[in-house]
Amino acid sequence: MTAVIETRGLTKTYGSVRALDGLDLSIPRGGVYGVLGPNGAGKSTLFRILLGLIRATDGTASVMGGGVGDVAAMRRMGSMIETPRFPPYLNARQVLEWLARAQGIAGAADIPRWLERVGLAEAADRRVRGFSVGMMQRLGVAAALLSDPELIILDEPTSGMDPPGIQEMRALIRALADHEGVTVVLASHQLLEVQRVCDRVAILNKGKLVREGSVAELTTVGERLRLMVSPAAQVLEVLGARGVAEGDAVLADIKRDEGPALIRSLAAAGVDIHEARWVGTDLESIFFTETGAVQAPETIHAG
Amino acid sequence: MLVDAIRAEGFRLSKNRTLMFLSVLFTPLLFALGGVGYHVISKSKGDEAAAAAGLAVTAGGEAVNLAEALNMGAGAGANGFILVFMLIAAATLYAGDYRWETWRLITPRNGRVALLLGKLGVLKLLALAAMVAFLIASFIFFVSQAMVYQRPMSFSYDVSETGSLALIWLLSWTRIVQFAMIALLTAVISRSLLAALFVPWALGFAQSLLGQFMPLIGWEPQMWAPQLLLPGLAYDTLKAAVMGTIEAPLTIATAWRSLIGLTLWTLVPLALAIAWFKRQDLSKE
Repeated sequence: MTAVIETRGLTKTYGSVRALDGLDLSIPRGGVYGVLGPNGAGKSTLFRILLGLIRATDGTASVMGGGVGDVAAMRRMGSMIETPRFPPYLNARQVLEWLARAQGIAGAADIPRWLERVGLAEAADRRVRGFSVGMMQRLGVAAALLSDPELIILDEPTSGMDPPGIQEMRALIRALADHEGVTVVLASHQLLEVQRVCDRVAILNKGKLVREGSVAELTTVGERLRLMVSPAAQVLEVLGARGVAEGDAVLADIKRDEGPALIRSLAAAGVDIHEARWVGTDLESIFFTETGAVQAPETIHAG
Repeated sequence: MLVDAIRAEGFRLSKNRTLMFLSVLFTPLLFALGGVGYHVISKSKGDEAAAAAGLAVTAGGEAVNLAEALNMGAGAGANGFILVFMLIAAATLYAGDYRWETWRLITPRNGRVALLLGKLGVLKLLALAAMVAFLIASFIFFVSQAMVYQRPMSFSYDVSETGSLALIWLLSWTRIVQFAMIALLTAVISRSLLAALFVPWALGFAQSLLGQFMPLIGWEPQMWAPQLLLPGLAYDTLKAAVMGTIEAPLTIATAWRSLIGLTLWTLVPLALAIAWFKRQDLSKE
């Protein structure tokens, strides 16, 4: 698997603060890759270095096989960092025309297509000074897609969007990755969104990589069978050390292939089974475990 | 990449109609209208004076040479009004991407130096457009003079003067670009549109004052210090040298000092701005 982004020992310090601390990261080509981390973990610093907006204090980074600042390589990539802003006297179409010219993209034939795809076709001729944050965000994504890039870096792409907008953006990101072969690298604070849209994730904390892997791998580790049964005490007795009560339910720490046999034996023993389902560790739990962030009680859930 | 930068900047500027009007058309329009008004008022006062003296005002007289507009357009192309209004364009061009936080959109996929030089290229074109507009206004001034005073028009142009006329055009153009270069440096260092507007204006004003009070501090125009520190004086000296109207104590040798002064005031801010911009953190704008 070739890497579209590779960093080796990437370090960025601001005075005594180490925003990135020797980060080694290899982002493979294809799919949607999420970069997670609490505030100050180094996500934005990483993206800014990759885009050449700031210089690393130490280490190396490459994007699309070229060094940071290699314009030919960078032109195969699109990006949106935080909520973008645009000259207010331009309309949406003109913003894209201006950016296309700046990137050396000939013609403006694809502009209506991209405006359509981000849901701004009807606002194409409206000046951006009247745009909401969500509309700015959509236009920023359209700008990132202008050059038909092989790689897109998006920092908080759904920030400021309403729920339908978030859903559309998620669908667009998946479509880009699944049908157009674009590698999407995104950072988001919305962990559920990341879990839904990303194939792989990297969790950063204090400038270091603390966990990396596919979402499927990460979330199936620690998977348990959640049973709504009565009487629960009888089931806990059968499971012994492998069972734990969770409210009215029982969590069985067993392997998937042991599930059917357990259910058959419980039914044979006269236990009423109202519900049985596998619950994994969600990204949110992994995030809080790995980063040591304090989890608010209402955000703790297992499935 | 430079061509892309110029195309993008030119496109964006063309959509900012207020700025285009202020920087290119406002001063020439003011000059043309002012010229017509001046002729009309002067004529009516002349008519009143003639009537009071019991004289009849007759049409005709010496022809108005429209070729004079070429000299006026070139020589006054870098007048104070044009400088100030071009400064508005320069500040917007150079500091706009800090103000709108748009550097992060364009720098990754174009070179920083190319983008900055692209802005400079567009500013040069804009200055040229303003000078052409001023030339047209100069023609209007002379045509209106002929029409108001009912005098014939002629176009008597000495072709041998083409070289010096072109040089004066070039000097005036350089003076506008040089003045705007301070806006470039200020914009890059301060990231502020207001600073890019007011620092060059304040500097220009201070230099103009210093030029007025040179004798008080013992400066003579032919000395190195004023020629190096006052680009306006350097421009005037060079213009006089090209026009052949240079007068003592200024000499052709002084004009070389002027040339060095004007060149330094143009290139040093550019070099500093590029060096600063190449290393600048563009994540915070």
